[in-house]
Parts: sequence; structure tokens; C-alpha cells
Amino acid sequence: MRYAEPATVEEGVALLASTQNARCLAGGATLVAMMNARHLAPELLISLHRMAELSILTETPEGLWLGAMLPHRALADEPRLRGAMEVIRSAASQLAHPAIRNMGTIGGSLCLADPSTELPVALVAASAHAEIAGPEGRRIIPVESLLVDRFQTSLRHGELVTRIWVPRGGPGAVGHHLRFSRVASDYPTVSISLVLALEGGTCRQARVAVGSCGPVPLHVEAADQRLVGSALDAPALAEAGQLLARAATPRDDVRGTAEYRRLLIPRLLGRAVAQARERLHV
Amino acid sequence: MSDRLSFSLQINGEEHALAVAPERTLLEVLREELRATGTRRGCDQGSCGACMVLVDGEPRLSCLSLAVTLRGRAITTIEGVETAGALHPVQRALIQHGAVQCGFCMSGIVVTAKALLDHNPSPTLDEIRQALGSNVCRCSGYAKVIEAIASLSKVRPHE
Repeated sequence: MRYAEPATVEEGVALLASTQNARCLAGGATLVAMMNARHLAPELLISLHRMAELSILTETPEGLWLGAMLPHRALADEPRLRGAMEVIRSAASQLAHPAIRNMGTIGGSLCLADPSTELPVALVAASAHAEIAGPEGRRIIPVESLLVDRFQTSLRHGELVTRIWVPRGGPGAVGHHLRFSRVASDYPTVSISLVLALEGGTCRQARVAVGSCGPVPLHVEAADQRLVGSALDAPALAEAGQLLARAATPRDDVRGTAEYRRLLIPRLLGRAVAQARERLHV
Repeated sequence: MSDRLSFSLQINGEEHALAVAPERTLLEVLREELRATGTRRGCDQGSCGACMVLVDGEPRLSCLSLAVTLRGRAITTIEGVETAGALHPVQRALIQHGAVQCGFCMSGIVVTAKALLDHNPSPTLDEIRQALGSNVCRCSGYAKVIEAIASLSKVRPHE
């Protein structure tokens, strides 16, 4: 195995594009575990940690740009992730366990595209976009179109994610993440990320994403629409929950059967909305 | 095995010159190159915390950290926790509370607890449990471990 630590994204992209079996090393939490287990043996490992721009957080009036190498722990402690964007902070503070949160990065988690972990779900709920650098320059795409299948992204050969755009959301919006797991630090059986905005007692904006229930974070436009205009009362939550449960394609595994996961979705949606409303004090 | 890279690591305040393959983890370098075997090899997957070390004061899994990426960082292992031959207060408390059983997980627990108390000298029981969320122990049941660390928590002024 060869190892490189390029100082710029452009050098990294050139290396990535010129090698067949090259891998980017972000926090290492998953890649090194797979190398230890002999599941992976990259020909070239390109460490991203000397690319200064990947560790920058930029605030604009419309939202935040999060550098791909920001570790989960930094996001969990980031006070600028508030309002709708708080869904990212909430997910980052709950995922895995403290040492993994010190190591794992938002870009690494997104590019791993693990259907059972938190940040991809939170990023979909937040309507986040990813900036991608490649041999032809940079492009920005919705996170939903980056995540295409289990552990699979739409990244092309030679491309890497540089930063992630999280929009601030509408006035009064709040973001929240709820995970249901057998024990803290285990992968969730089901997780729910959502962004809500209320006006008076009426929901004006809703975007819900469900994790561990399909190959990519589950987002159903009709479920969001069932909540918008409602008072987030029991019938609206039950129907939105059913729309999500019917669209889900969960697997049976040690953390729960597919049937159990489908049953959990509406229950957890109600709980997640109640917790988000507590934050809004309405 | 890949070609070796030459670099040095700062471990417990001392610089160590190394020539190792890029895929070597810090855990392997500590145990096999430097014969510092206090850091334990458990699962090699980041799930058990036996290999915990501190990097710039933060708990980090040495089994998932490639040694070459830690150049210029301050690494603390269990061997660096004692001062002048005296056990660290965390180590003394664990012994006093009967928390050390087979001891395999203890290196990781000691450095994790040290980092917690360095940052937060008055952790609550819940903060202690959260901080130790990366450390698995198969014989203590954790109760004695938590009691031992809680015994070092400074009383808060208004409690």
C-alpha cells in the first residue's frame, strides 16, 4: 500500500483519478476497521487531514458550510448549528460512542453511506447539499442524490466531498434527531430526523427522514405534506407515520425485525415531534 | 507489506523515531515496535475501547488510528499516566473500590477517565457513564468502576 498526504483538494483529486484502487482516509473509524479485518486493501491511501479547507466551517446569512473533515464531536458542540440546522448537532451528539465521535467525520460518514447510521438521515432532513470536487471541477448536489444505495454513493471516479451546505430553514424552524437503539452507542433500530416550523399551532414546514429502514434515508414527500397545515395532532402524526411505514423497506437483523421496525416508525415519529415541539415551546 | 515510512511520534512526552508501513496502526506500533504493551489489543474494530489512548488529550482508539497520521500530535498511553512511580488517582480509586478484576479493559478505562477528569473535574454519574461509553468491560458490571471515578469528582459549590 502507498500513502499520500496531499495539502490541497486538487492534488488529492489528481491522485484519486490516476489510481484504480485508491481510498480517501478521513477519520479512519470505518476504513481502518475494514483494513484490520482484511475486507479492504487499497493500493493507495490518500489522507485528507492536511487539506486545510476541509476543516473549515463558514457561516452565511442563509446557512452553514461544514467542512467534510469536521469530526462529529465538533458538530455536537457547535452552537451555530441551531434552529432547523440543529438536527445535525442532535444526530452528531448521539451517534456511536465518544471515541468514535472524536474520530469520525461528517464527510466520512456521508461517503460511507451506511443506511444504519445517523448523519446521512439528519442531512436529508436538513435538505443538505454536498460540494464535490473532481477532475472536471466542483459541483453541488443534494445529499439525497449522493446517497444511492447501501454503502454506495453517486461519486464518480476521482471525486471527493469537500464540504456540506446546511440551509438555515424558515423562521422559527427547529431540527431534532431521535434514535431508538437497544443500548446507547449501538446502531439504531430506527432513527428519525426532522425539521419542523410552526406558526401559531399550525405546522408550516415539515421534512422527515427515517434511518435503518431501507438502503438510503427514507424520505416521503406525501408524509411531509400530511403534516404541513395540520396541528401535528394524533391523526396527522398517525397517517404520516403510516405513509412512512408503508414506504419503508427495512431488513430483519439482530437489532429488530422488519415488521418491528415498521411498527416503530409511527410511534417514534410522534415522540420525535413531541420532543421538537418542546424545544419550540409550543 | 508496503514500503516503510520514516517519521517520529511524540509518546508520553518523548519523541520516538520509527520506520513502519503506512497501514500500521498506532496500537501495533505501540505494542510491536515500542514494546509498550500496556495498551491492549481487543477487537481491532473500535468496539471495545481496550486500546484507548489520548491524542492531544482526547480519547482515541489506537486500533483505528494509522500511526503515520499522528505525527506532531501529543500521544498519552497508560504508561504515561503514572507520575514519578506513583499511580494516578484514577488508578488508586479503581483499586480501592475493587473495580479491577481481570484488568484487560483497565488501561483504556484509566486513560478515558483521566481525560474526563482533566476536562471536567466534577462529572455527574451520568457524565461518567456517557464518557465511558466507548469502554467495554466483561467482568466488573461497571458499578464499581463508576463508583471509583465518582469518588474523585470534586463537589460542586451549590450541591
